[in-house]
Amino acid sequence: MSATGEPPVRMYHVSKSYMAGQYALHDVSLEVRRGEFVFLTGASGAGKTTLLELIFAAEQPSEGQILVLGRNVARLGAGAVPALRRRVGVVFQDFKLLDDRTVEENVRLALDVVGTPRREARARVFQLLKSVGLQHRRFHHPKSLSGGEQQRVALARALVNEPEILLADEPTGNLDPELKIEIMDLIVSAATRGTTVIVATHDQSLIERYGKRMLRLEAGRIAEDNPAAGAGTGQGANR
Amino acid sequence: MLISIALANAFRGVRQARTTSLLAVLTIAVVLVLVGSATLLVENMVGILEEFGQELQLTAYLDDSLTDADLAPLAERVAAAPGVERVEVVTKDRALERFERIAGGAELLVGLEENPLPASLEIFLLPEARNAEAMEILRESLDGLPGIDDLALGQEWIEGYARAVSLVRGGAFGIAIVLGMAALLIVANTIRLAFYARRDELDILSLVGASRTFVRVPFLLEGLLQGFLGGLLALAIVYGAYELLLPQMRLGLELVVGRAELRFFTNSESLRLVASGAGLGLLGSITALVGWRGES
Repeated sequence: MSATGEPPVRMYHVSKSYMAGQYALHDVSLEVRRGEFVFLTGASGAGKTTLLELIFAAEQPSEGQILVLGRNVARLGAGAVPALRRRVGVVFQDFKLLDDRTVEENVRLALDVVGTPRREARARVFQLLKSVGLQHRRFHHPKSLSGGEQQRVALARALVNEPEILLADEPTGNLDPELKIEIMDLIVSAATRGTTVIVATHDQSLIERYGKRMLRLEAGRIAEDNPAAGAGTGQGANR
Repeated sequence: MLISIALANAFRGVRQARTTSLLAVLTIAVVLVLVGSATLLVENMVGILEEFGQELQLTAYLDDSLTDADLAPLAERVAAAPGVERVEVVTKDRALERFERIAGGAELLVGLEENPLPASLEIFLLPEARNAEAMEILRESLDGLPGIDDLALGQEWIEGYARAVSLVRGGAFGIAIVLGMAALLIVANTIRLAFYARRDELDILSLVGASRTFVRVPFLLEGLLQGFLGGLLALAIVYGAYELLLPQMRLGLELVVGRAELRFFTNSESLRLVASGAGLGLLGSITALVGWRGES
């Protein structure tokens, strides 16, 4: 657990290069405070996904240091990665659900991996599914759900372990406009409960609607760090 | 708790990925049918050779001056020599009976005043003494025993037999090595395909913080289970084929070598076949997992 007041995400001159001389991220330094909500935006290929991948240790930085929940990702051994990921929930544009498992089983995965007793796990999953309005679909399979419902399942899975950080990579990219708001409201509400949230999106309307801190990446560099982007006129902006 | 989840996930893996699981089970079964059939064939060949070996014998022709009463003590002394399994006494009268039986009557001996055939000792060898070196040791120990006139060693036969046994065993070992390697490669590649088909699942588990053990153990159990089922299937197929072909094989062997004592695997050999299937499945899974690091 990171100490109170210590930012859960800190990056110091981080670069990530997949080919010599070509940077997906270049000299990025930033801090995200506990409970803060941050939009990460930029054109395709700007480095949004790479930055998120570095935070949940799917990638290692080529240069610089990343401290996530007090752990230095650049020096994290393979054996320590699972422990970090249990404290970081991740949501993807393509949901990443297992089609051969029910909604309940998909959400329970995150609890199974830490050995949560089955009875307790089912109760927690029910509560989470209730909070995203899907308790009545818990025995259904993802394929029988709409895109918005599948993303709510993915969100429930990411939150069921009460993570300290929630990362979302284009979580509304595959959804209709009204469903986007529904999902974003759920994500924003996680931040109000103390979870640090970083959402990668290129959807400017969402950024304007919620009026949260916005980091804009351009060619792997931070081009803009706006503490309260947009007008904040939407429903979620007041939360 | 984690063990029950691992087991449940392993069974789920086999059930859900039916096609790839079935492919893995069938591959292991086919490979083990080949290995099992070859082993059974070799075991039976060795068995037949050993039966021949039981009949390999030396003959010690005895001095005519010995009386029937002298034969038993001499046979006992010979039986105590190294490498001797048992000794049968053939008296002069029995030798004559045999000759008459083989020659088709007593006409050839008409006119002879006395039985010209010598008494003899038929010396049967222990399995480990059926080779040239042991024969030489035996010859030395029998040399000079009073009453033994001549020793028919049949060394060429013995050496030929020893060569045949060593050829069959050596060949079997070579075949087992080649088939075993081929089996491992085929099974590992089949399981690797199954692994790639389910890579998403393993990556998602890794994403939600599953330890490497949590991800790997069900997959290894799955390989073990598939291998076990493949082994059982192979055993059933080899048994079915054995039962089906037994009458023809018996007939053929009786015609060619005059005997037809064939056998199927013993219980422990059958268990070993099934266990080697499980082992192959497990090894296949281990090889498939080499290099996998989780979601990246």
